[in-house]
Amino acid sequence: MNNPHRLYIFTGKGGVGKSTLSKAFVRYLMEHDHEVVYLTFQNQSLGEIHKGSSDKFVNGIRELSLDLEDSARNYIEKKLNSKLIAGWIVKTPFFRALINMVPGFNYLIYLGKVLDMQNDNPRLIVVLDAPASGHALTMVESTTNFKQIFESGIIFEDTGKMLSRLNNPDYTKIHVITLPSLMAWQEAVELKAGLSERTPVTIDITVNNCLYPLLEKDLTELPLGLKQKTINEKQLVEENRSQMLCVLQHSLKQDPMEIETDLVGSLSKLI
Amino acid sequence: MTLSTKSFEIFCGTGGVGKTTLATSRAIHLAEQNLKVLLITIDPAKRLKDLLGLGANSLGEVVPVEIDGTPLHALLMSPEKTIQRMARKFNTPDLENNRIVQILSKPYGGMNEILSMVEVQMQFDTGQYDVIVLDTPPGAHFLDFLESLNKIRNFFDQNFVEIFTYLGQKTAKAGKKVFGAGLINRVISGGVRKLLGYLQAVTGAQFIDDFIQAVQVIYQSREAFLKGLALQDKLKSREQCNWFLVTSVEQGKAQEAVEIRSHAAHFIHQDHFLVLNKCLESDLAPWNPTDHHLIEIKDSLQKREQELKKQLKALFPYVLEFPEIISLSPSDHLKHLTEKWKTYVISN
Repeated sequence: MNNPHRLYIFTGKGGVGKSTLSKAFVRYLMEHDHEVVYLTFQNQSLGEIHKGSSDKFVNGIRELSLDLEDSARNYIEKKLNSKLIAGWIVKTPFFRALINMVPGFNYLIYLGKVLDMQNDNPRLIVVLDAPASGHALTMVESTTNFKQIFESGIIFEDTGKMLSRLNNPDYTKIHVITLPSLMAWQEAVELKAGLSERTPVTIDITVNNCLYPLLEKDLTELPLGLKQKTINEKQLVEENRSQMLCVLQHSLKQDPMEIETDLVGSLSKLI
Repeated sequence: MTLSTKSFEIFCGTGGVGKTTLATSRAIHLAEQNLKVLLITIDPAKRLKDLLGLGANSLGEVVPVEIDGTPLHALLMSPEKTIQRMARKFNTPDLENNRIVQILSKPYGGMNEILSMVEVQMQFDTGQYDVIVLDTPPGAHFLDFLESLNKIRNFFDQNFVEIFTYLGQKTAKAGKKVFGAGLINRVISGGVRKLLGYLQAVTGAQFIDDFIQAVQVIYQSREAFLKGLALQDKLKSREQCNWFLVTSVEQGKAQEAVEIRSHAAHFIHQDHFLVLNKCLESDLAPWNPTDHHLIEIKDSLQKREQELKKQLKALFPYVLEFPEIISLSPSDHLKHLTEKWKTYVISN
């Protein structure tokens, strides 16, 4: 097995099976004896009821869920060495306005947390299930923007460090997940192009949930819609195969856990 | 089914479920009833953009389009253009010249949501339209979108305004330009100085000056932002707004719908419609495969869709089903979806 990257970002619009796929990938890494954490965060704002961060095993996977207020306080606490002042700053209208006005600032706080964790544990691999809202473009763009905005100070220095790792092809890899329909495919290609303008790391497209491998042998037996769907999917995949890292078959299982298990064996290319 | 025409129609969803295409078909359907319709969209796929005549030149501008003989207006959001429009309309030229505002209003700079609210309000104020159909920002399901309203409110938070009003007075007295470097050390006393001192360590001193300037210019344009905020009440009102939450069978996640529903409870009125896109049922139902392998596939697809519908119907007052359109042409998609809207009766 190749040397894995340290940070895998799974992105793509909602409904493409991103969470299932990224969790299956966590399982794949675990099966190969890597220490992995599955990370997800919501696009929340300061001032709403905060649920607290959590770090626990769910169905055998270490799942980290980050809360914005906690993460922001932790971050500042670490930097200023004072819990009291950190609590104070996070509560100031200035800071709240800064974070709430600018959703991209969340990413900075979250990414800071991730990089801290990886400093503490050099073996730790993070699989990030990026929120569908504002997808990875906002995330990648926000770090660059903030480097331009802050010209000095702790955040500026950290943003620099974050960017150098986020933009390090050995460190980070981005997977764009999409579905085998023309519109979804084109969006994925556009997303990849947008990301490529902003970061030099490897960006690969994986096409999830393909029905055609299950159905193409029985075309004449199929009802009209399903038949055309099969033909379209197959044509799309064949025409663009060279741009697809991985083409994954639709799982007939109903239970998300079983779907995950079904996928694990097909993910070696994603490393 | 009550699906009356309102001043606003909002399409939310996680994206990738055909939300933009559905919103477009809805706009066409409304325009076919001789209503004056503006479609505001955020991030359409390229082919849909071409179909709507929204090329790179028309980014951020309202353009008249005609789809199959039906005229309507379309606007592809550009945060930068919205800022420029605000600066013109409210006569606050500093807004478009501020460095931080410029960075934040880049396409993925993070102000999309707020600015789309402001844009909707500005377009509504023109009095030109019977209905504004809004396809919400990329991926943001309607909670994120509503959250943007709270963000505006937080921004104009009382304490916050006080601090900056205070700073504003001090500098006005000093007769200097709005805020100069080193201002913080000059004018702030007591606790505020101490606090800003700590903030400086985190964000850098220059940034605080810059940010205060940005806040000042944004604050000067507060009328525009607060008008966007007032829009919230209209969107909350059953008489004025229809909400469409779009999901698709492919998505197949009832859990997500459950979460969305529970978030929405504090906000939403009766007229919200769950739109379930890409249903295969009408294609699958009459199919009677004999092969064992195909029977398994049919059962699996059908079971998944039926389960999903059952769960959604228990959660939402109205579930509108749209079939999966098997065609490579976006104009075919629009045609079929527009037809389907006709089956959801409008009662005025």
